[in-house]
Amino acid sequence: MSITLRVFLILCSMISFILCIRKVKQSKLKVTNSIIWIIGSFILLLTSIFSEAVEWLSQKLGFIAPVNFVFLILIGFLLIQVFIDNMRISTLSEKIKDLNHAIALKEYENEQKNKAKE
Amino acid sequence: MKTLIIIPAYNEELNIEKTVKDVTSNTNYDYLVINDCSKDNTKEVCKKNNFNMLSLPINYGLTSGIQVGMKYAYQNNYDIAIQFDGDGQHQAKYLKALVDEIENNNCDIAIGSRFVTEKKPHSLRMFGSILISMCIKATTGKTIKDPTSGMRAYNKKAIKEFISNSSLTPEPDTLVYMMKKNMKIKEVQVEMSQREFGESYLKPLKSIEYMFNIIFSILFIRSITKKNKGGK
Repeated sequence: MSITLRVFLILCSMISFILCIRKVKQSKLKVTNSIIWIIGSFILLLTSIFSEAVEWLSQKLGFIAPVNFVFLILIGFLLIQVFIDNMRISTLSEKIKDLNHAIALKEYENEQKNKAKE
Repeated sequence: MKTLIIIPAYNEELNIEKTVKDVTSNTNYDYLVINDCSKDNTKEVCKKNNFNMLSLPINYGLTSGIQVGMKYAYQNNYDIAIQFDGDGQHQAKYLKALVDEIENNNCDIAIGSRFVTEKKPHSLRMFGSILISMCIKATTGKTIKDPTSGMRAYNKKAIKEFISNSSLTPEPDTLVYMMKKNMKIKEVQVEMSQREFGESYLKPLKSIEYMFNIIFSILFIRSITKKNKGGK
């Protein structure tokens, strides 16, 4: 890996780390959700520091360039994230639907009560 | 038996009055209009006529509308719940046939079918219907001649099953799920008319998506439904 790429990766990892911590402090991100991003930024940092190990491993796995291996790790990481997010959205959607139903049923009940009073 | 007609309505201000009057004049079952947060005057029309209406605060689609209707039917101890379109396509005079079918012939779900004795016409829509029928035949071995019919009656057992799984939709794939759960499904010949006003839930591009969803669901998800423990 070239020196420029390594510096770039270290910078990226630092920026994502700082951003993550700041957002948690501003309570715009939950602590449990932030952990995966912090792990991600550590992976970036490790790949740029121990680039020899990455080069060795990528050669063993048959990659033409070590940087391709780094990209593969990142893409895999992102895919997992997207999948987890999709699951979360589905659960949230179900919860909103249940709330929607609960509110409607409650309102209906109240209306019936009001009608009975009249 | 205590019967509830569930009438989901989304932007049906022009049809809903006629539909509900059709139900009340032809039957003496209870009915419930589900107003799925319509943007037009559906709610006002219902209020003005003093219809029995449940109004959802957020628009969430047909599935959610039927599900809340089923919840209502379950909470109020109804024996039979029937889904009935609010757009004037279904005719209330056939409702009794569905209820009779459940009462007398010991089935769990009765479908108001257009093609029990009549032949299917040749059109693109019917091609979709045939395709879904074939998928149902392949996964359950049973023949449903009109799987896309939106006029279905569920007995208490089916209502309970319906609300116990929130992924169930009022669509053909649920029929496969119910059959896998050992429910008996029968079809009753009915007639349906064309919608007079307004737009259907199924628009051209949407119907392709619909077909894809239903067939995928039947073949890969509902087909591996586990039977309830203890058989019947």
